[in-house]
Amino acid sequence: MTDNKTLAERLRERGVSRRGFMKFCAATASMMALPPLMIPRIAAALEQARRPSVIWLSFQECTGCTESLTRSHAPTIEGLIFDHISLDYHHTLQAAAGDAAEHAREAAMQENEGEYLLVVDGSIPLKDDGIYSTIAGITNLSMLEDVAAGAAAIISVGTCAAFGGIPHANPNPTGAVGVSEIITDKPIVNVPGCPPIPTVITGVLAHYLTFGRLPELDSLNRPMVFFGQTIHDRCYRRPFYERGQFADTFDDEGARKGWCLFKLGCKGPTTYNACATAKWNDSVSFPIQAGHGCIGCSEPNFWDKGAFYEPLSAGRWGTPAALGAAVVAGAAIGLGSAALARKRQAEASEEKDI
Amino acid sequence: MDNLESIAVRVEDGLDESLRTDNVWPLLRQIEQALQSLQESGSETVIDLGAMPFSAQDEQDLRERLGRGEVNATVEAFGPTLVQETAFAGVWLVEYLDAEQRRLTLHLQIARIPDLLITPADDLADSLASLRRANRDFSAAPTEDVQ
Amino acid sequence: MSLLDFARGTALQWSLYIFVVGIIWRILGAALVMRRKDMSQARISGAERVKEGAMTILTRSVPPETFEKRIRFSHITGYLWHIGYFVVVLFFIPHILFIKSFLGFEWPGLPNPMILVIGAITLATLVALLVRRMTHPVLKLISTADDYISWLVAALPLITGYMVVARVGLHYETLLGLHVLSFCLLLIWFPFGKLMHVFFIFPSRYNVGAIFARRGVRV
Repeated sequence: MTDNKTLAERLRERGVSRRGFMKFCAATASMMALPPLMIPRIAAALEQARRPSVIWLSFQECTGCTESLTRSHAPTIEGLIFDHISLDYHHTLQAAAGDAAEHAREAAMQENEGEYLLVVDGSIPLKDDGIYSTIAGITNLSMLEDVAAGAAAIISVGTCAAFGGIPHANPNPTGAVGVSEIITDKPIVNVPGCPPIPTVITGVLAHYLTFGRLPELDSLNRPMVFFGQTIHDRCYRRPFYERGQFADTFDDEGARKGWCLFKLGCKGPTTYNACATAKWNDSVSFPIQAGHGCIGCSEPNFWDKGAFYEPLSAGRWGTPAALGAAVVAGAAIGLGSAALARKRQAEASEEKDI
Repeated sequence: MDNLESIAVRVEDGLDESLRTDNVWPLLRQIEQALQSLQESGSETVIDLGAMPFSAQDEQDLRERLGRGEVNATVEAFGPTLVQETAFAGVWLVEYLDAEQRRLTLHLQIARIPDLLITPADDLADSLASLRRANRDFSAAPTEDVQ
Repeated sequence: MSLLDFARGTALQWSLYIFVVGIIWRILGAALVMRRKDMSQARISGAERVKEGAMTILTRSVPPETFEKRIRFSHITGYLWHIGYFVVVLFFIPHILFIKSFLGFEWPGLPNPMILVIGAITLATLVALLVRRMTHPVLKLISTADDYISWLVAALPLITGYMVVARVGLHYETLLGLHVLSFCLLLIWFPFGKLMHVFFIFPSRYNVGAIFARRGVRV
C-alpha cells in the first residue's frame, strides 16, 4: 500500500524537470503562505518526503469538506499533494465498500501504527452512547477513539470536526462535539470552515509532508499562516469601511459600487480565515467579493451567534417587556423613596415648629 | 430589458476600480529598497504577490507602473512560467501557471536574473551524459543516413 | 459563550435594566422631594419666572465676565471633551449601528480617521483634566471618590475603544467584548454617581434661575 518513493522521485517519474520541481515548491510555499525565502528549504524537505498513510473518517457531516477538496481540477498542486498521500480509507472516495472498506482501514492502522495521519470531517454525537451516527455498526465515538490511538497526528477538517459545527448548534439534539473534546492526547490541527478552503486543507497536508510536523497553531489550534488574520484585515473592501462607505441594502448604490458590507451583517472583523487572500474556485472570488458579507463559518458556534444580517456592533438589548418592568421597578423605588423623604422632612419641620 | 445596466447585479470581469486596495504604493517602495540592496550587496528578494490582498486592478496598476523591459521568457516545466523583465532592470515579474493556464502564484523577483532561468546544476550532469550519448549515436550512425 | 456574546447580550441587558431603574428612581426622588414654601412676595409674574429660569440655562453655559480669565482652562477643556465625546459616541458608524439596534433608526456617520482624531483629542483633554484635578490644591481638596470613579467610568470606553482599533495585545473580539463591558459599567454607574448631572444640570439651572427671579434677582 505504501511505497517508499519520495515526492521528488514521484514528480520526476511524471516527467517533471528540476525547474518544474522548483516551480512546484514555489507554488507550495505560496499555498502554505510561507515567504519565498523558504522555497529552497521546502525543496530540500520535499526531496526527502515519504508517502504518508492517511485515514479519513467522515462522521456527522454533509461531505461538503470532501467536495471542497476534490473540486480542484487535476493537474494542480493540490492534486499532486493529494496523489502523493496514501489515502487508505475514505468512504466517499474509496472503491471498496462494506467489510472490505473496514478491513482496509484496519490494515492501514496496523501497518502504519503510530505513523499514519488521521483526517476527520464531521462532528461526533455523544448523547445516548453515540448511537445517532454509526458506520458498519461502530459508533463514531468508538471509531474515533480506536483510530486516534495509533495516529501520529489528527487534522480536523471543517467546522463540524473542529468545533462541532452545525450538528452542535442549539439545541444540539445528538450531543455533537468536535474531535478535540474527545481526543486530548494527540496533536490536533483544526482546519475549520464550512467548508474549509481547499488550498488550506492541502496546505496543511503539504506542511506535514514537507516538515514532518504540524504547522504553528493559534489558541483554537488553527494554523497561524491561514488563520492568523481576520477576513476584515485582509479584505479589499476595508478602505470603504475606514472611509465610512457602506452598502445599506443588497441592491443599493453602495452595494453596486462594492462598498463595505459591515452594516449588512458581515462577520469579517471577528472571523479568522484566509478567504480574502486564498479565495475560492481557483482563486476566482470569495463571498465578500461576490457581494455577500462573511457569515463567520470558520468560527466556533457561528450558527448560534445571532442573525447573519445583524451588524456586528448591534447590541442584544433584551425584550421590551423586561425594559417595561425596569421602568415600573424604577418608578416604584422612586415613589417609595420620595414618600419616605417627604415623611422625614415633615417630621423634621414639625420638630422645628415645636 | 434594454441593457445590462438596468439589472442590479454587476458582472465581475476581474478589473474594477472598486477592487483597488492600497497595496501598490507600499509595494513600490519595497521594490525600491530591494533594488538598492541588490545594487549594494547583491542580495536578491522575492515577493509573493499571491500572499497579500492584491486585486486584478492592483496588478494592472503595478504592471503599468513597472512597464516592460527587454527580456521576455517562457519556461515550459510543469505548465508554463512567464518571466518578464520590467522597464526597471533587475525587477522581474514571474508568473507561475499550471498546465491549464491557471495561475499558481505571481512573484516579483529583484535579481540580476530569476533563478528559474539559470540551468540547474543537477541537470548539467544529466545533460552532459545525454549529449555524449547523442554524439556517440551520431558518429556511430551509418553514413548513408547523412547523405 | 464568548466574552463578546456575554458583553453584548446578558451584560448589556442587565446594565440597561439597572440604568433604567436607577434613572427613574433618582429623577422621581428629586422631583417629588418636599420643597419649603417660598413665603417671600413674588417680585415678578409666573410667566416671567419661567422665562428667567430658561434664560439661566443659557447664561450659565457661558462663563461670567468677572471669572472668565480664571476659569478659561476648565471652561474650554470642559466643552472640548464633552463635544468630542458626543461626536465619537454618535457619529462612529459601528456606534450608530449599536444605537440603531435599540432605537430602530440611524443617521449618517463620519469617516473613521476623523473619529480617531477627535477621540484622541477627547482622551487627551480628559487626561489633562484628571492631572489638573490631582494637582490643583483646591480641586484636590474638594474631589471625592465619586469624581475619580466617574472620570474612570467615562474614560474607559474611550480607552478600550482605542484598544479595539489599535488591536492592543488581544484578539479583536475580546477587545470589543471589553469595550462593550466598559459601556455596561458606564450604564450601571451612571444613575448613582456624578454622571447623573446629564439629567440634572438643566432642571437645576432652571430652578435656581426661577427662584432667584421670584426674589427679583437676575443671574
